[in-house]
Amino acid sequence: MGNAVGDGFIIDKDDLILVTGATGFIGSRLVWNLLDRGFRNLRCFTRPSSGMAGLENLWGHRRAGRRVEVVTGNLLSPEDCARATENVAVIFHLAAGRGEKSFPDAFMNSVVATRNLLEASRRNQCLLRFVNVSSFTVYTNEKKPRWRLLDESCPVDNHPELRGEAYTFAKVKQEEIVIGYGAKFGIPYVIVRPGVVYGPGNESITGRVGVDTFGLFLHLGGSNVIPLTYVDNCADAIVLSGLKNGVDCEVFNVVDNELPSGREFLRLYKKNVRRFRSIYVPHCLSFLLCYLWERYASWSEGQLPPVFNRRRWHANWKKTYYSNEKLKKRLAWAQGVPTQEGLKRYFESCRNRGLNA
Amino acid sequence: MLKVSIVGCGKIADSHVAQIQRIKGCEIVGVCDREPLMARQLYERFPVKRHFSDLRKLLNEAKPDVVHITTPPESHFDLAKLCLERGCNVYVEKPFTLCEAEARALIALANEKALRITAGHDDQFSHVARRMRALVQSGFLGTAPVHMESYYSYELGQAYARALLGDARHWVRRLPGKLLHNVISHGIARIAEFLTSDSPQVRAYGFTSPFLRSLGERDIVDELRVIISEEERTTAYFTFSSQMRPSLHQFRIYGDKNGLVLDQDQETLIRLRGARYKSYLETFVPPMTLAKQHIGNVATNLRRFLAMDFHMKSGMKHLIESFYRSILEGTPVPISYREIVLTARIMDTIFAQLDAQRQALGQMALDTVRAGPA
Repeated sequence: MGNAVGDGFIIDKDDLILVTGATGFIGSRLVWNLLDRGFRNLRCFTRPSSGMAGLENLWGHRRAGRRVEVVTGNLLSPEDCARATENVAVIFHLAAGRGEKSFPDAFMNSVVATRNLLEASRRNQCLLRFVNVSSFTVYTNEKKPRWRLLDESCPVDNHPELRGEAYTFAKVKQEEIVIGYGAKFGIPYVIVRPGVVYGPGNESITGRVGVDTFGLFLHLGGSNVIPLTYVDNCADAIVLSGLKNGVDCEVFNVVDNELPSGREFLRLYKKNVRRFRSIYVPHCLSFLLCYLWERYASWSEGQLPPVFNRRRWHANWKKTYYSNEKLKKRLAWAQGVPTQEGLKRYFESCRNRGLNA
Repeated sequence: MLKVSIVGCGKIADSHVAQIQRIKGCEIVGVCDREPLMARQLYERFPVKRHFSDLRKLLNEAKPDVVHITTPPESHFDLAKLCLERGCNVYVEKPFTLCEAEARALIALANEKALRITAGHDDQFSHVARRMRALVQSGFLGTAPVHMESYYSYELGQAYARALLGDARHWVRRLPGKLLHNVISHGIARIAEFLTSDSPQVRAYGFTSPFLRSLGERDIVDELRVIISEEERTTAYFTFSSQMRPSLHQFRIYGDKNGLVLDQDQETLIRLRGARYKSYLETFVPPMTLAKQHIGNVATNLRRFLAMDFHMKSGMKHLIESFYRSILEGTPVPISYREIVLTARIMDTIFAQLDAQRQALGQMALDTVRAGPA
């Protein structure tokens, strides 16, 4: 039996690990990653409404002497959070209000849920690390210290409410509450910010490549690098951030190597999945359109919601490069699935989904 | 300056704040939610003076003239009562209360305190709904309405359905009419507005759709058909469906001369001519006049959009403005108290009949099991 502490990890392989959002796109891969690493005591927290796809083969692991407990509940319930966090050494918090268009809903499912989890952990007093899974969306992508390079030293949006995206607002506020609990109650945390997580199970085209509007795909990415991370690689990085010694209070961006540009991605998608009409919108034009939309939204008192604006343009469509150096240096992360292979699996999944649709 | 507060900082509170901001002569002096983080997020996103997690504290310190109650329906009565007792006018989101008795009690209290109260039936104040009301009042239909049809659909997205189904503690499940209770008041209120009797007959039939049954649901009714009639004069059909496509929010009203069709989603109003054309002209002229009316609706909507008066919640703005005017200038309340009570009464009757149906079905199933195989 391997000794996890000896591997430079903060916990032993029998210590209890909680994964929220365990049946989700990344969560299910993260559970398998932990099991593959030999961790024997997992608690998977899921909503009652979540399907169990991805975790259905856990019974095999259970038979193999591993304890994998599936707890259903709602993170908005302090009682459920207390039950979930009991005796837990590490929490991987992946559950989030993703896909919510309403700010209050996204906020409640991300921030209030996270606060409940932190509050329950604080009372339990056996937590060694709280891994908060965030997103690249929190970066303002302006006033970066290293010009076009976006890394962990870049500023987070201090007015996320002006971005027009409920998810961004919720994620920024979620990070604030984690950092606040860390400072106030000494809860050891790590923040992980994945880029665009792709792979089988998430077949959509990221908005960083373009936006499908009224049947016409507006290609906004152009030559911009798309900060992709294949779901298995991302799960691996999150696992390491939760286990490695000496990284408390750190932030890690997660992107793969050899990232394609928006144009390359779109070309490959059309070649491998399906052909559709798209029109390239140069960066200066997309900026102007975002500016005009923003002005009109304000002028018309919200007749059109400010979903396109300059802040969003900076965050999503400004020419930017990405770094995973910190991930490699501090966590000894190595990309398991090469980008070419990841894209191949992703396109295959897109094709299958199209056939089954 | 009218001082306004919001209690309950969930999804619908955003719409309230956004519309109140557009109304001159008022300011939001405080928002409140028992979850402090929720109150704070609303405060951070809008020009709001203060945020609270205790309504009593808000009432004491912010001293609002009007309180908008945007909490889940279970708490409407208690919160509205407290606000009225403290001298505030109250706007209660739909459904107004859980039952008619509560609605009556709040209205009586408002009258006793010389305050104003209204229900959040904002769909009835959209541009198109106001156009329809003006036509009805001008006598376009002839005499009293002969028949009405109100369609109110609700698309149960897979995610929402799963969330509701998977959560046995979801607040919607605790309402007497469950999902229906939270949704149908808009469609029922449209009918109630044009009924003259205070005690119409109501016949309801409801069931759980095959879609929900396939997800394991047995308790939530998401298909409802209702016949409403008053003393053999005016009749109405109400249809609520989660499965019907297209998903409609339509109201049809027929008099003894003409009829009107209002489509809430498309913001169109079509006049149906009562008199017929002669011979083949009936097959040529009406389609042309209908086409002309549809083009006219497009032009009207476009004109309003260009004039920046076509917001998604324009009905809510108009309702709030009318309500505030009734407070400041003593004009009539935008929704009559009779209509609020009648809407609550019809809903009570529907839910009581659905309960009786469910119990009868349960008894039948029990009898079948007891009888055993033939």
